Amino acid sequence: MNLTTALARLLVFPGVLFAVPFAWFFLWVERKAVARMQGRIGPPFMQPFLDFIKLLGKDTPVRGGAGGLLMRAWPLLAVSAAAGAVGLLPVLPSSGGFEGDLILLLALLEVPSMCIIAAGFSSRSIFGEIGSAREAVLSVAYNVVFLLAIVSIAASQHTFRLETLAQLPPSFLRYLGIAAILVCLPAKLHLNPFSLPNAEQEIYSGPMTEYAGPELAMWELSHGLEWVAATGLVATLAAPHISLAWLAALLFVALSFVVVLLLSVLAAATARLAIDTTVRFYWQCTLIFAVLAISSALFMRFRS
Amino acid sequence: MNILTMLWKNLLGGSRTILFPARPKVSARYRGLVRFDPALCTGCAICRFRCTARAIEFKAGKGEFTWSYDPGHCTFCGRCVEGCKSHAISQDPACPPVYLNIGELKNSYTVARKPPAPKPAQAAPPAASGQTADPATEVRNERS
Repeated sequence: MNLTTALARLLVFPGVLFAVPFAWFFLWVERKAVARMQGRIGPPFMQPFLDFIKLLGKDTPVRGGAGGLLMRAWPLLAVSAAAGAVGLLPVLPSSGGFEGDLILLLALLEVPSMCIIAAGFSSRSIFGEIGSAREAVLSVAYNVVFLLAIVSIAASQHTFRLETLAQLPPSFLRYLGIAAILVCLPAKLHLNPFSLPNAEQEIYSGPMTEYAGPELAMWELSHGLEWVAATGLVATLAAPHISLAWLAALLFVALSFVVVLLLSVLAAATARLAIDTTVRFYWQCTLIFAVLAISSALFMRFRS
Repeated sequence: MNILTMLWKNLLGGSRTILFPARPKVSARYRGLVRFDPALCTGCAICRFRCTARAIEFKAGKGEFTWSYDPGHCTFCGRCVEGCKSHAISQDPACPPVYLNIGELKNSYTVARKPPAPKPAQAAPPAASGQTADPATEVRNERS
């Protein structure tokens, strides 16, 4: 690992310099695709960026004490964690940099979700608290499947290191794991049919209800970065190993784009489920597949 | 799977949003803006009487009357059209146009009263009684 490569990965590609414009781009793609599938025009290309700039220019209400400080801190923490998660993705072949593993990536991916839960409770709004409670319940439900999928991939490939995983030829179990991760992504990204924490018609923006101005801009950015990180995780796991750096980067972007489109189709085609139905879906329907995947992975590991 | 077919059709068919000055198509028997034909109006003011939204105003003057209509107040219920015996009022079957200033669609007509049509009894020569028309009735007709 050398420091220059590590910084380049964190700050340039696939880090901040790449991730931030692509966060806005993916947010736009999702909104535009859903709008076109619903027979609407959808937002113009620059809309997510313009929203961000507009929010940065707004004032925020003065909040004193530890509560106010925490409310300002959560979005920044979420943005940092999501940007770090994107920076960890092993997009370029043998590029060096942070030799992070899947566990660190998962931890960083989970931080924005925890920040959202904390932010809702810090805001002392009834809608925020309901949204946070929903996010917490949802997080527990999908994370079991998500973690089991990741562990089954790692166990089947005998490594937790992202660099090694990206270089190994994918196995059948890896694809099963990717499918399980794909099932969890709508809940992770608060998309229909699992858009419970930010159900506008019921609880306004949920945990974001009390946020405005630059803090809300940071939440939007964090959400966009989560998109890049989550779709990028699927892209890096699904992509075959390519030694050409530019081709690997292009494939990463193309696969992430396809995942964004798939999630948009799902979001446009479904309505929001109730919280108990969602939890039942993850615990009853998908958990069994995740358990099967991990038991097969462990069985294969002990046999080999 | 039906929803996927619908989404695909929407995607191919483009958006249904109508951009600004264009107006949406209306259905058959659409009840739009109230149109007034001063040539047919007898100035009976039944339309104003029937207009619960007070979109129609009627001012009687000497030898003329003023009929005004404010679409901003109109609920397009069509009761004025139903009540108009002379068919001077109708409803436009097109979507109301875009307007930028308040009261732009308001219109007002000042119509000269028509002389009352001669009664058949007056037109014919007096019969056996030989009496002339009642002068009081003539005054009422003029006033009405």
